Formats: sequence, structure tokens, C-alpha cells
Amino acid sequence: MTNGPLIVQSDKTLLLEVDHPDATACRMAIAPFAELERSPEHMHTYRLTPLGLWNARAAGHDAESVVDALLRFSRYPVPHSLLVDVAETMDRYGRLQLLNDPAHGLVLRGLDRAVLVEVAKSKKVAGMLGAQLDPDTIAVHGSERGHLKQVLLKLGWPAEDLAGYVDGEAHPIALRQDGWQLRSYQREAMEHFQAGGSGVVVLPCGAGKTLVGAAAMADVSATTLILVTNTVAGRQWRRELLARTTLTEDEIGEYSGERKEIRPVTIATYQVLTTRRNGTFPHLNVFDARDWGLIVYDEVHLLPAPMFRFTADLQARRRLGLTATLVREDGKEGDVFSLIGPKRYDAPWKDIESQGWIAPADCTEVRVTLSDAERLSYAAIEREEKYKYAATVKAKLPVIEALIERHSDEQVLVIGAYLEQLHEIGRYLEEKGVAAPIVHGGTTNKERERLFDAFRDGSVRTLILSKVGNFSIDLPEAAVAVQVSGTFGSRQEEAQRLGRVLRPKGDGRQAHFYTVVSRDTIDTEYAAHRQRFLAEQGYAYTIVDADDVLSGPAGA
Amino acid sequence: MSTELADHLRALSDDALGALLRLRPDLITPVPTDLAVLAVRAQTRVSVARTLDTLDRFTLEVLDAARFTRSPSDGTTSAAAIVAMACAPTGGPEPVRVTEAIEKLRARLLLYPASPADPDTLRLVPTVDEVCSPYLAGLGRPAAELDTAAELAGAVVALVTDPARLRRTLLAAPPAARAVLDRLAEGPPVGTTTNRTEPVAWLLEHHLLVETTEGSVELPRELGLLLRRDAGPLGPLHPLPPAVSAAPRAVTTVDRAGAGQAMTVLRHVEDLLEALSEEPAAVLRAGGIGVLPLRRLAKAAGIAEPLAGLLLETAAAAGLIGELELGSELAFLPAAGYDQWRVAPLPQRWTLLAGAWLAMPRQPGLAGQRDLKDRPLTVLSPQLERAGTPAVRRSVLTALGELLPGTGPDADELLEWLRWQAPRRLRGREDLHREALAEAADLGITALGALTGYGRALVEQAVAAARDEDPLGRRPEGELAPEETPVAVALAKLLPPPVDHVLVQADLTVVVPGPPEPALATELDLLAEHESGGGASVYRVTAASLRRALDAGYAGPDLHALFARRSRTAVPQALTYLIDDVSRTHGGLRTGTATSYLRSDDEGLISAALADRRLSGLQLRRLAPTVLVTPFSSARLLTSLRDAGYAPVPEDATGAAVLTPPKVRRAAARPALEPSPDALDAPGLTAPRLLGIVEEIRRGDARARAARRAPAEVRAAAGQPMSSLTAVQAHTHALAVLQQAVRDKAKVWVGYVDAHGANASRLVRPVSIGAGYLRAEDDRTQTLHTFALHRITAAAAAD
Repeated sequence: MTNGPLIVQSDKTLLLEVDHPDATACRMAIAPFAELERSPEHMHTYRLTPLGLWNARAAGHDAESVVDALLRFSRYPVPHSLLVDVAETMDRYGRLQLLNDPAHGLVLRGLDRAVLVEVAKSKKVAGMLGAQLDPDTIAVHGSERGHLKQVLLKLGWPAEDLAGYVDGEAHPIALRQDGWQLRSYQREAMEHFQAGGSGVVVLPCGAGKTLVGAAAMADVSATTLILVTNTVAGRQWRRELLARTTLTEDEIGEYSGERKEIRPVTIATYQVLTTRRNGTFPHLNVFDARDWGLIVYDEVHLLPAPMFRFTADLQARRRLGLTATLVREDGKEGDVFSLIGPKRYDAPWKDIESQGWIAPADCTEVRVTLSDAERLSYAAIEREEKYKYAATVKAKLPVIEALIERHSDEQVLVIGAYLEQLHEIGRYLEEKGVAAPIVHGGTTNKERERLFDAFRDGSVRTLILSKVGNFSIDLPEAAVAVQVSGTFGSRQEEAQRLGRVLRPKGDGRQAHFYTVVSRDTIDTEYAAHRQRFLAEQGYAYTIVDADDVLSGPAGA
Repeated sequence: MSTELADHLRALSDDALGALLRLRPDLITPVPTDLAVLAVRAQTRVSVARTLDTLDRFTLEVLDAARFTRSPSDGTTSAAAIVAMACAPTGGPEPVRVTEAIEKLRARLLLYPASPADPDTLRLVPTVDEVCSPYLAGLGRPAAELDTAAELAGAVVALVTDPARLRRTLLAAPPAARAVLDRLAEGPPVGTTTNRTEPVAWLLEHHLLVETTEGSVELPRELGLLLRRDAGPLGPLHPLPPAVSAAPRAVTTVDRAGAGQAMTVLRHVEDLLEALSEEPAAVLRAGGIGVLPLRRLAKAAGIAEPLAGLLLETAAAAGLIGELELGSELAFLPAAGYDQWRVAPLPQRWTLLAGAWLAMPRQPGLAGQRDLKDRPLTVLSPQLERAGTPAVRRSVLTALGELLPGTGPDADELLEWLRWQAPRRLRGREDLHREALAEAADLGITALGALTGYGRALVEQAVAAARDEDPLGRRPEGELAPEETPVAVALAKLLPPPVDHVLVQADLTVVVPGPPEPALATELDLLAEHESGGGASVYRVTAASLRRALDAGYAGPDLHALFARRSRTAVPQALTYLIDDVSRTHGGLRTGTATSYLRSDDEGLISAALADRRLSGLQLRRLAPTVLVTPFSSARLLTSLRDAGYAPVPEDATGAAVLTPPKVRRAAARPALEPSPDALDAPGLTAPRLLGIVEEIRRGDARARAARRAPAEVRAAAGQPMSSLTAVQAHTHALAVLQQAVRDKAKVWVGYVDAHGANASRLVRPVSIGAGYLRAEDDRTQTLHTFALHRITAAAAAD
């Protein structure tokens, strides 16, 4: 019996013992095909999924190497049926290929005739396929390239898209590496993307995804459409591109609710593209406004469902997806795979953190006890109101102030979901002599920019953020985040908020992430979700009582 | 002939006779009285067929040679003649192989010397011809036997007896026709022609084929022999089993893959039975588990339904599933042995399951299909019983075991191999063999197509058990403790040893990095939720699971100690906090039973009542300074308190005082009489209503008279005959009356014995008599009655 670090479970999860001497080698071997699901301190859990196996196939790994990795590192005998299943699943990818035929245009070719027949008979592909050209080839209507890939994935026979891309309108873009360089993993990510043509790069918040995008643009050197979640994130892209590339102000356009510019590099928001007026999408012409050579999707995991439909029609253009996680709360990972492309690069958070690119974080949950009067009214209110009530109790205010006090020499973000609560916190802090401006959905873009700039240069020490803080705001100076209320313990939100304080600090300081929770209420239950998420990501997580914070010594 | 055979048997030595009986054990059930009986029995069709079933393909081919070389005059042959025929073509089998095969046939008494004086002249047991195919060695019947139809007029015989002409005709055959001939010459020599194709028509016309019955043709033997002149008269022979192409893998690879599968199977079985224990599955009326419960169980275990069916069947065969009356219906649930099995070491658990699978006379693969009456076949139902399955499983595994260790042939190859081993036994049972092979892989007896080392031990044990040499039926492995059987020992070397420690992580998962020790498993089952199984087990600690542990008697410090003792790594702060948090709130609310309470705003008064000895019978208990409870009713509480001189007031559910003035006892209320019109004055009796009543009365009267008027002989017919007729005569008479009534369309009185054996009579108008039944209309009820004729005792025409 070998004594490997890997234990294969019958539910197709793989447990990796981190402290084992072979753990690193094993992680390298299984990372291409298994999705890291949880990475707490001792045992990491990976999962074998068809998508993961297909991602590996797309990256050039074959079933033999997967089986070999499992057998080599497994501590216990691997069930025969699992090996068979792995081989069969991987064998399904690439049996069908989408090719560009010089005479007939887009065609579907079957390397296995039986599969082609089976697929062609399926009702789901009706209307997408044209005439049978020969026993192994069927013509495909050019417009159905994306839909066909989606359907084939659903049928369990994902097609390999070898039909190539249009070059798009050439536009010179180059990186200006003066005094800085692409980090090693950023270069690797870019190279993997370059080899695949289109696909998704998975990097944690703060690991410099923007630079991967800029590098890809420089590589393609063509007009580029960048799709982002909101205007602020768009401005950040613009700033970053101006600083890091040869692009000038005039070459970068913004297509948002406020401005409608089409330039060689155009940054558009998901929101404006998915705006619906009289049942139509009036801003779709952006996609045809130029002969785009590259489309960059920022935060793919947040891509709204209608965007998939638009993306299905853009299959001839290179696509780069950037995201911190492939996990989508709506379970549409398969659509990302078939429409944007397979995963091209993935680096575990903790690895990047240990390389020093993102700040290590210390997560603490502070439990406050409700006053008797609050407990009484909590017990009496309606179910739907319970979370809001528990999350916004007054008992949290002194704790927030104590935490800010404790980190008086750091810059602090207070993040919450309920506006009234945020205003209340602002008033309370002001009474205590702490200036804390609020940024929320109603704050004008101009005012936001001003406050963020002030925070960046240190003139504002404490900032209160509403839900706008969840996405793509680059505040690298924040070292402490205090979370007072959230959206029902959403994992995605947690990752984003943690990302706020995970930006690398100049002196490698420890980042702190506090969650203030009301004891014995539904707030605690949601906190348990977040605790699980953070612990699964491998962060140290401690729970303390509010009294310890209020009375305890400053600094942790 | 049977005397010849008996003489031969008499001449055999005791050892030789014993050897024969070992080869054909069916001859001694029951033990024959003498050798003559034995000789007769050895020639019965059943016994001969059974013996042929055990022979391999080559021996059967040699048997064909023996049949073929019999002299037409006295039906004898000789070893030399058989060898000569079998080895006729170049490249045929070696003579020594043929001789071996002849010896096999002789040892089984299918061939025997015609007389003791002449051991070389062999005679064939004649029953062989009846049992074997009529087409000897795949050849058709001789032309003389086929050429019987008048219209052929001997044309076929004439053709085959003229070799030169036969050859010429054959050469003249068009290619398509020649292809048909070649195919028939390979055997079987008969074909069917539903729509006669051109080549077949040509062949028939030229008498190269003979139409035996409408639509089927046969190739005459002589022509077949001519076509086989290259391969020899018997066609190509198969002295050696087909080769298995798969190269052997490393034995350890096979064993490890199998052991992994074995562990998985044990996990699945446990999951299935746990799910079954949580929600027992009702036994269907026809036996078995319904489709929906099966789906539920399979889903709970995370496996496909067919596999769930196989595992449930196996578990049931291993005695892990039983039936119990739950409420009003019978249900399947884990049997008492399950708990013992669950805590046994993995190798023993697997050995029990695998042994049960080998022995169970059931075919789980049938589940989900439908039987001949289109009823669904369900898992664990009696319809899945198939007596032959254990033998099939043994033969498949034995065949695998005879290959080089680690060789994993695919199913087709193995079946070909088995077909050579015993072609007659495999016929029509390929699917059964395939199923057995797939099941063995599912259970981890085989892996990568090859038999595992411990699987080999399992098969050997099963074969030895089937042979059973010991006179007292004691088996060597029966003496061994369950963990010392060769199977368990071999498997134990492959399976991970049980572990007694866990890794506790900050996300509140507890990982057991291997199969948990029974004690550890029990602890974890209580205080954590099982999340994933396999090589390791993952559990998750939740507030609910800790609460469950506290409910079961653990206290907070116990939990801390338990995790500290079992965990190999530091217990994370989050878990420590959770345990404290849960145990803090545990028991914060208390419930109990009391029938009534006593309360007062005056604490002193309550204390006085509690201390009052006169009230000690009430078993008052203080819940709070101002509340006492008692298990007795509030009425009794009230009375006792009043007797003791207190002034209590009862309360209702809302807390309001219930003050009731004293009551006087009264009987139930009764209505008073009121004056009413005289009923005899018949108010409201109108003329139409009266007429209606009159008609009603008349009709009733007619009915009554009709009923009364059933003639005496009809009413009394069954019991005491009124007339001088006997019962039989009365019945015949009644039939005559009825037949007449059918013709006349007349009403008759029919006396009969009803379903309860009582005499009854009825006035009806017969419609028809036939098939043992009388059909008749009843005018009054306007219904059609059917009387069984044998129940009719009498009939009489109505006036």
C-alpha cells in the first residue's frame, strides 16, 4: 500500500492532505482536472466534475494522465468504477469538432460517426444543423456556433471549437513596463489564454486581473471591447490601461449610462447593455460598432444571463473571461464553458498569497448580545424582517467604534447592506469624533471618485460602503474591513468584500476582516455560511464576544 | 444393448466404477439396485444430456466423429477409425488429443467396448443420437433420406451417386448460389427461404438443395462432404480453447483496483441500508420493493438504480435485510444482523456480501423488466428467483481463474472461452453469463476484467464447498474465525487499516483519513453529519448535530475532551466556540407534564400550601415561587384545597376566574306534547295520491301471489322429492321443460340451489341454454339472470 497524500472518495471528491511531503507534487498533478472546492488548513477538497475533466481535455491532458495521477498519489485503492468513469467522461470531449471548411463554412465533424448520428438526431439541435456533407461532416449555420456548443455540452458531447477567430480591426497596443513587470503567474495566465484563443482566467481579487487583460490586449493588438460590472470599475480599467499601456486618453472610450463613446478600446457596462426598452435591447449595436478583435469579460461569474445570449452570437471573436471564481450562484458554469471558453488558468488563492501578491487576512467574527428589549422585539417580528432587524441592532454600534479605535493607525472600511444602518453608523461615529463619509448607490460618480481619491491619499481614514463596495473598487490602502450586514451570507459577496482588504500593502501588513454579528439570531446563521466559506478558503477564523472587543487591549 | 452395457459395467473394476459415478453423479440419485438398473439409467436421455453438457467443444466434435464412423451394419466403431476421421485433413488435431477425447467419452460411458473380448470395437450409447442435433457434425441428412418427395423422383440420389455429374453441376453454380452452398456446408445445413431468392431457386432446380418443408431447405450430406473436402468431413475442429488476447496486468494493480471497488461497495451498501432503516420500504403485494422506493434508496446512496438493485439483493441474501410488520403493512428494513455487520472489519463485511452473491439463486438483472404477463419484476421479489445463477457465477469466475493471474479478457472473449469449455451449457445463456461478469466487477470480485487475488480465494472456497470431501461435511475454512479465512486475509492486506483519529478543521469538518474504527464511527455518527465517504470519511459538525449529542447525554466538557482526544491536530477555535455556544443554550427551556396548577400572587400562601401535610397526597411541586403543579386533575385539586380550608378559585385557559353557582341534579330534557290533528283523519290525502297507493298495493299483492304460487314441486325439489321422480330424473325433466320454454318463449318457475346452498325459486322467461348455463329474463326486475344448469333442481311451466 502506498502512502500517498490523496484520498479518493466515492462521491468523486478528492481529499488532499496538505501536510504530506508529496502534497505539492500531488496538487500540481491534479489541479488541471479537479476543481478546488475547499481549502481549510489540513485537508483540501477537490471535486471531479465532467466540466473539470473537459477543461483538462481542452488543455491537452488525456485520460491516461488523469488516471495515472490518481493512482500514483492515492493513499488507498481507487475504485475501479471511478477510473472507468473518468476515462469515459474525458473521452466525450472532442469527439465532435467545429471546423471552418473552406467550401462550406462552419461544419461539425464527428471523429466518431455514432456520436455524430446520435447528436444529429437529438431534437435539441433541430434547426442548427444544415445538410449532411459526408458521413462524418454536417454543415452548421454560422449564426448557431454558440448555441450549438451550448446544446452539445448539455447533451454531454462538448465540441472542440477549432473554427478559429476573425482577426478584427488591428490596433497597436503595447505594455509599457517601466519600473514594473508582469508577475510570473500573470504571464503564465496570458500565455495559456494565447494558446487557447479564448477562455477564462481565474485569479483572486487583488491578484491583478486587469493586467492579464491588458497583456492579452497587447498580444492581440486589435480593437477591444471590455465589459465590466459598473461605471466605477470601468474607470478603474481606464486608469490602469492608461498607466500600464501605450494607449492614450483618446483611444479609450466609455459606453455607460452617462457617456456613449465608441473608440478603439471601449469599456461598456453590463448594465447598459442589458437595459431593456420596449422589449428590445437598444445598446446591442455596441457589439457591431467596430470589428472587435478581442472581447474581455470582467467578473465572468457575475455575467447577467442575457449576456450569454449576446455572447452566443460572438463566437468568431476572441473572448477572455476574468474572474475570481468559476462558481456561479445560478449554476450556469456550463454556459461559461461553452460560450466564453474553457478555463485556461487557475491559481489557488493561498498560493498567490504566499507569493506575497495579496495581503494575508485574519478573519474575526464578533458576536454582540442583544439587549433584552431587542430580544423581545426580535422574537415578535415577522420572519422576513428578522434578518434586517438582527443585522441592524444598535448593539453593534459600540463594537464598530471599538474596532476602528483598535486599528486607529490603519484605514478602515465599514461595509453594510442597509442604508439606514450605514447613516446611523455615520452619525454615531461622528458623535464619537470619527469622520466617516458614506458611499452608496445614490452617491454621484463624481462624489464617489472624490471620496475614493481622498481615501487613497489618506485624508479620509474611515469609509462606509454600501453594496456598491461589493464590486471592483480598488482601494489598496484599506487594511481593515468591518462587515456589519450582508446579503444572506452569500459566498460571492464574501469573496468580493474580502478582496477589498486583500490588496497588497506596501509593508506586507496583516489585513483584518471583521464581521459583527448578533448572537442567537438569524444573523449568526448567515455568519455560519460565511465562516464556512472563509475557513474553506483557508483563512484563520476566530469568534470573539463583543465584550472582549469593548474591554480588551487594542491591536490583535 | 442394455445387457451389453451392463456386462461392460460388471467387468469394470471398483475404482473404474467409482470414477464413472464421480463423473456422472446423477446416476446414483437414487442409488440403483443393481448394475442392470445402472446401465438403463446411464442411457436415459436426461442423464446423457446432462453428461454432454459438461463436455468441451472438442470432445463433442470427437463424439460426432464417433457417430459418423459407426458401421451401418452393426453400429460399432473403433478408436482407430475415429482418430483417422478426426485427423483426416492436413493441419487437423494431433491424434493424441483425439485419443484423450475418446478416453473422456469412454470414462463417461458414452462409448463402451462392444464386448469384453474385443476392447477396440466401440459402441455408442444410442441415446446420444436422440439428445444431439440431428445434423451430425453440421451436415445434412443423406440424400436417400431427403429424397422422398414424389416430384423429385430420386433425382437427388441420382445426382449425388454420380460424382462426376455432381462435380460438374457444382462448378456450374453461379457465385451467389455457391456462396449459399458454402454457408450451409459450414453448418447448420438447413436454411429458411421466406421469399425464394434467385440463387436458392437455381440450387433447388439443380437438386443441390432439397426443400424439406415449405420454406426450408437442406443440404444433402454427400454434397456437404464434397464441399468440406479441404477441412475434412467434420469441418474445422477446435482442439484448443480460443486464445485470450488481453495481456496480463500487474496483479497488484488489479488487486488494488478491486479493493477500491470493494470499499466503495461496502459504503454503498451501508448507505442503502441506512436509508432503508430511516424509511423502511413497503413490501409490494406480489413481493419486492416498488420502483419509487428503489429510486429513493438509489438516490440516497448516490448510485444508479440497477446497482442499487444488485446491492439490495446481495444484502438480502447476506441476511442484512428482513421484513417486519410495521403498522398495517409489511416492510423491508435492515435485519438484526446488520448492526453486527456494520461494526465488523471491512474484509469480513465484504466476504459476507461476496459469498452471499455467489450463493444466491437470484438474478437481480431482471429487475425493471416485465414478465410474460407484463407485470413488472421488482427487486427482492420472488420472481427474480433463478436456480441456475450460482452455477453460472461460479463458472464465469472459475474460467477467469484459469487464465494467467491479472489477465482481463473482455466479456466476448471470455464467453467464447466458456463456449469452448461447455458449448451446450452456454447455449441461450450468454446474457446470464454477461450479467454475472458485470456484477462481479460491480462488487469488486474482479477488477479491470481480471479476477483479483482475494476473488480467487473466494472462488476456491466456493468450489471446495460445492465439492465437500469430508464425510462429516466439515470444511477447513468453516473452522476458521471470520477474520482468518483466506479471502478476508488477502483482502485485509489490501484495505487500509482502521484509524482511530480525526483531523478537525476550521470549516467545522472532521476528516477520518481512513476507515474509522467502530467506536470512532459511532461517536462521529452522533455528533456530526456524515458528508462524504470512500477512502476517508468526512463529517461536518453543526449546531444541530452537537445538540443531538447533548440530547444523547454528552455534556459540553465531554465534547471538548472527545475532540481533543480524537483529533490529531489542534481543535480550531471556531469549533470550541460552537460547542460552548450550543451547550450554553442547551436545556435553556424545559418541558414536562402536569395536569393542573396552583398559583397565587402571594408567595407565602403558596409556600404554606406546599408545606401543608393535608395536601401531600396531591404531589405538589414548586415550578416558580408563585406556581405549583400537580399530576392530578383540577377538580380534585380544588376539592382537596377546599377540604383543607383554603379558598381556591378555578381559572380557565385565559386566566379568568371561573365562578359557578352550585348546581342541582336534573335528568335530561324532554319535549312536551302538543295538540295535533288526528292522524286517522288523513288530512292531505288527495285523490291522485290515493290512486298511487292503490296501485302500489296491487302490485305488491301480485308480487306476493307470484312468489307464493311457485309450484310445490319446484319449491321442494332439492330436499324432499314431492313426486316419485329421483333427483336425476327431476333434473332431466327440468331441462326438457326449460328447452321447451326457450322455444315457446314462455315463463317458467325454476328451482335452484343458490350460492349459499339454499333452495330458491324464481319466475323467469328462459332465453337460451348452452355451455352449461341457462340465461333467462326476469320480467319483474328487468334483469338477465344466468343459472348454472347443474344447480337447477326443478322447473315447471308457469300458468
